Parts: sequence; C-alpha cells; structure tokens
Amino acid sequence: MAVVRVVAAVLSLSLLAGCGPAAEAGSRADAITVKNCGIDVTVNGPPKRVFAAYQPAIEMAHALGISDRLVGTAYLDARVLPEYAAAQAKAKYFKNLPSREELLSQNPDFVLSGFNDVFSAGGSDSSFGSRKSLADLGVRTWIFSPLCPTADGKGDEAIDPATVSMDNVYADLRDLGRLFGVEDRAESVIADQQRRIAAVGNAVKNAPRPTVAIIRPALEGGGLTVSGGPDFGTVLIRQAGGVNAFADLTSKRNVKISVEEFIKRDPDYVLISGCCDAAMTAASSQPDVDKLLANPAYANLKAVRNRHVIPWLFANHSAGVRGAYTTENLAHILHPDLVK
Amino acid sequence: MKKAGGLALCVAVLGVAVVLSLCAGNRWIGIGEVYRALTEFGGSDTDRVIRYLRLPRTLAGVLVGIALGLSGGVMQGVTRNPLADPGILGVNAGAAVAVVAAIGLFGVHSLNGYVWFAMGGALVATVVVYLVGAVGGTTPVKLALAGAAISALLGSITSAVTLLDLSTLNEYRFWVVGSLSLADQGIVAQAVPFVAVGTFLALMLGRSLNQLALGEDLARALGTRVMLVRSLAGLAVVVLAGTATAIAGPIGFLGLAVPHVARTIVGPDQRWILPWSMVLSPAVLLLADVVGRVAARPAELQVGIVTALVGAPLFIALVRRRRMASL
Repeated sequence: MAVVRVVAAVLSLSLLAGCGPAAEAGSRADAITVKNCGIDVTVNGPPKRVFAAYQPAIEMAHALGISDRLVGTAYLDARVLPEYAAAQAKAKYFKNLPSREELLSQNPDFVLSGFNDVFSAGGSDSSFGSRKSLADLGVRTWIFSPLCPTADGKGDEAIDPATVSMDNVYADLRDLGRLFGVEDRAESVIADQQRRIAAVGNAVKNAPRPTVAIIRPALEGGGLTVSGGPDFGTVLIRQAGGVNAFADLTSKRNVKISVEEFIKRDPDYVLISGCCDAAMTAASSQPDVDKLLANPAYANLKAVRNRHVIPWLFANHSAGVRGAYTTENLAHILHPDLVK
Repeated sequence: MKKAGGLALCVAVLGVAVVLSLCAGNRWIGIGEVYRALTEFGGSDTDRVIRYLRLPRTLAGVLVGIALGLSGGVMQGVTRNPLADPGILGVNAGAAVAVVAAIGLFGVHSLNGYVWFAMGGALVATVVVYLVGAVGGTTPVKLALAGAAISALLGSITSAVTLLDLSTLNEYRFWVVGSLSLADQGIVAQAVPFVAVGTFLALMLGRSLNQLALGEDLARALGTRVMLVRSLAGLAVVVLAGTATAIAGPIGFLGLAVPHVARTIVGPDQRWILPWSMVLSPAVLLLADVVGRVAARPAELQVGIVTALVGAPLFIALVRRRRMASL
C-alpha cells in the first residue's frame, strides 16, 4: 500500500509540475463550488455529460432545460409529466440502473440521482459507488437534498428528517441552476412551483384535514409497506390539506407494518403507490385497488366504505419538480369541492 | 407409556400456541372475544381481524409446522444423515427457483399460483438430486452431496434472476424470508389435502424407516423394499415441503431442529420421532410467529427471521450439550 501511495504521489506531483499553471488558470476562471448533503461539488464550467438516475432526477433535468446534455437516463417509475415527454423520448434510456462499470462507460461528468441508494455503499444491488469514489474518478454527483443521508455511502435508513421539505427542492433547483449555468430557468421553475403550491394552500386553508396512507401494493397480504415520516409524501400530503397517517414512523422512508396496525389506524384515504415502469400511469394500479376493496379484512375501513382507495403513482411522492403537480393532484383527491 | 404421555403434553402445548396465536398480535384480544368472533361473526373490526387475519394465519402455521417437522423427520430417517432437512436435498431450492420463474417469467402473483410451481420445482429438484446421487449406487452421503451441489446451483440461479429484475421480484424477496402473514383462507383450504396426504404417507413409513436405519443390506434381508420406501419417502417430502414452501416461503431450522429434539427425548424409534415432530414443530412455529408479531410493533418480524434467531442458538446448545443422537 505504502509503495502505491508513494508512486501515486510522485505521479501527481509530476503531473502538477507539467500542466499545473494552465489547469489552475482554467479552474480559477470558471470553478463553482456548491455544497450538497454535506459534500462540496465543484465544477469547472457547466457539466456537459449528465447521467440522470430515477424519475425525479430525469424530470429535474428536463425542467432545467438541459435535456440535450443527458448521456443517459435510467429507471423511470412512471411516465414523465407530459411537458417532458418529447424531451425524454429523445434521451437514451436504461430500464434498470446500470452497473458502475456501465455508468462509467457512458463517460458522464455529472450524475444526478433522485434517490440516495445508488450512492450507498451497501443495501443497493445497483450501487454506482459512494459519492467520494465517483469524485475520485472526476465524476461530480448530486443527491436530491430533501433526502440527504447523514453520511456518504448511507442509504434510505439514514435520511436526515430535517431535510425533507419543499424548500430543499428549491435549494436544489437554485444550486443546480448555478452549476449548469441555467440560473434564470431555475428561478422561473421555482416561481412556478411556489405560485401553484401557494394557490392550493389558500384553497384548502380552512378545510378539515383527512388522514392519508400511501401504501406499496406488491407486498400487500404479507404485511404492508407504508410511507413513513421521512418520505416526501408526508410533505406533499400536508401541502394538499391532509395528514400522513403514518408520519410518526420515522425510522425509514418505507416502513413495513402489520395489517392489523393498518386497520387500527383506519386512514381516511389510501393511495396505492404504483411503481416502476416507464409506461406506468395511475390507472395501472387499479387491479391492486380492486384487490384491496375485495379483501374482507379491510371491509370496515373508512377508506374502503367511502371508496377512497385511489390508484396513484410512486413517482408522485418523490421529491422534485413534481411537487406542484402532486400537491394539486392530491388536493383535488382530498378536497374535490375546493380544488378542481 | 412415558412417550405417549409426553406426546399428549406436546399436543397440549400446541393447543396453547394456537390460542396464543389467535389472542396475541398488534393488540391483545381476549379468549372470550376470540370465541365470539369465531362463532357469531358480526363484522366488527375485532371479528374481521380474528377471522380474516389471525385464523388463516394460525391454521397456516399449524399446516406449515406439521409439514416441515414431518418432512425433516422423514428426510433424516431416509438419508440417515443428521443434517438432512428439506434444505439439503434441494427441495427448498427447487421450490424457490420455480416460484421465481412463476413471478418473473409467467407473471403469477397469487399464492394459489405459487403452490403448483413450488411443488413442481421441489419434485424436479428432488428427482434430479436422486438421479445424480444414484450414479454408481446410492449412499446417504452421496445423496446429501448431490443435494448440496444442486441446491447451490439453483440458489445462484435464483439470486441471478432476482438481482436482474428488482421491481417484479420485490414480492419474492419478501416471500423468501418466510412468513405466515401471506396466507389467507383460500390458501389454507387448498393446502389441507396436500398436507393430509403427505402426513399419512410419512406416518406410514415409520416402521420401514426403522428397518432402513439398520443398513440397506439388513433392511433388505428383513424384507424391506428399499427402493419403494425411498420413493414414498421422497414423495412425502416433496408434497409436504413443497406445500409448506408455497404457503410461507422457505422457513429454515424447523425441519432440521425439531426432529433432533424429538430424537433426543424419545430415542431412535421413527414411529415416535415422526408424531412428536409433527406436533412439536407447529407449536414452535406458532410461538415464533407470535413473538415476531409482538416484538417489533407496529412492524412485524417475519417468522423465518424469528425461527432462525431462536433456532440457531438452540440447535448449537443441543449439539454441544450431548453428542448428537446418532441415526
């Protein structure tokens, strides 16, 4: 090890000696550094080869108008919002997350990820490697800051609950706008989001607040997986004039609970969080809705008796530029008389 | 007499486990209320929790327990290998591969669908293991080696498929840990005939397995048809382990440890080991499930995790305390 380190040091010294001044001049002129989840992200000029992993990152890239810089997009949870459909149709798409090697073969200079598990050292089957290990190869990385893990290499179990907010989406937009050199576009996206969310907030201001559960359908029957407090759904439900029925469970984003616990909490609305396919729409979850409605164990639930079991999308409760869309969509579900 | 009295005691323990499994859970429901929910269904939350969640789950526990205990006992008897359980002859691995194929390739997402795949996979794996192990004459050791090799092969196929298709196989990843909470009334009703046939077959084999334990040649001299006994034992194991795996996923340790406990208490007579295993195993499984339901509220520990957590130290203690009762 020691030998390797010495050789590496000598090599880098000689490299510095060779082309140090030029490189320094370049970086001084254009270098921008922004902190993201406790890690300094420095670029020398706007990144030109961006890889976007997961729905929120892909939609964010299109929203910022950098679609033409995408060298790859991976793992959509649902159809992209209509305004991004044309841009996404032109992008290179991987159905599953690529391996680290395949990712690097796309020669990206920036990886934008909607969820932190691609940078977790363990726990994910398709990890790109920790952010530091990618930075060592010259690849800058970005995690959506509403899901900041407490340390590099950590996954969903280490989300800092203080980061889960729409303000962090705006901060991301602003910071990415600076890094990519599209500040104006970022500001207009932020203004649009804020205006729409504020409009919903005004409309539902005095309405009663129903409890809402977001559940993952695939595991139904063998216990349930619900969105807990650190899930961004908690924020979106609140903005739409409701309360996440499982907000008090804060150990993870996706919490497994017993069916009995679900029956005991008896939420007013149940959203079926359908996932993960590029062609997915909310209607795709209808079979899971029917299954839940037909299960005699659930027959007494308020949501079942009032037919408030809604086919919905996992993509909707991801942190990102879907925030305004989802807030409107949810408010319409929870308060149809107040929000069209 | 002592053995019969002990067996009666085991039945009593099983009875207690059944009652506990109905009463305990996210919240305690008293025996009186449980009785009322079962006899005069009114449609309240309590009635529904008992009838549609806890009752099927408890019955599933009983069926799976019986199946795993018996198949482990038969397997240890027929292979004369103290480490044999449905895991070692590739039965579980075969069932698991088939279920993965069912979910991933054929889009089967209901347990009613799994049962047949699991059973078919278990059967194919067992036959292949037997054929591989039978090359140049069957011995218990060769059979076990063939089982371990085929299990490893099938296991890696399963891993490869699940790693390649994360979203479709989330379901499988839950199932593979082993849980009783997937069971509903339909599954239980479907499983009863399979478990009944397997149980009948297994219990009939007690005497023949005793003779087989004397060694193949001596057993033949006593008039045992070795091939036939092995085939019937294999059939019993496939039906029992396949059904159990389909209902609850591969639950480890039960099939291995319970027959050992039985053997330690009642000695080497298969005619006692099998009934003891058949009663003790569901009792242990239900108690483990109750622990899993109560320990981590509001979440649930899957019973496969609890049996492994409790079973491993227990098994080690058993092995260390005295020389493993030999076969």
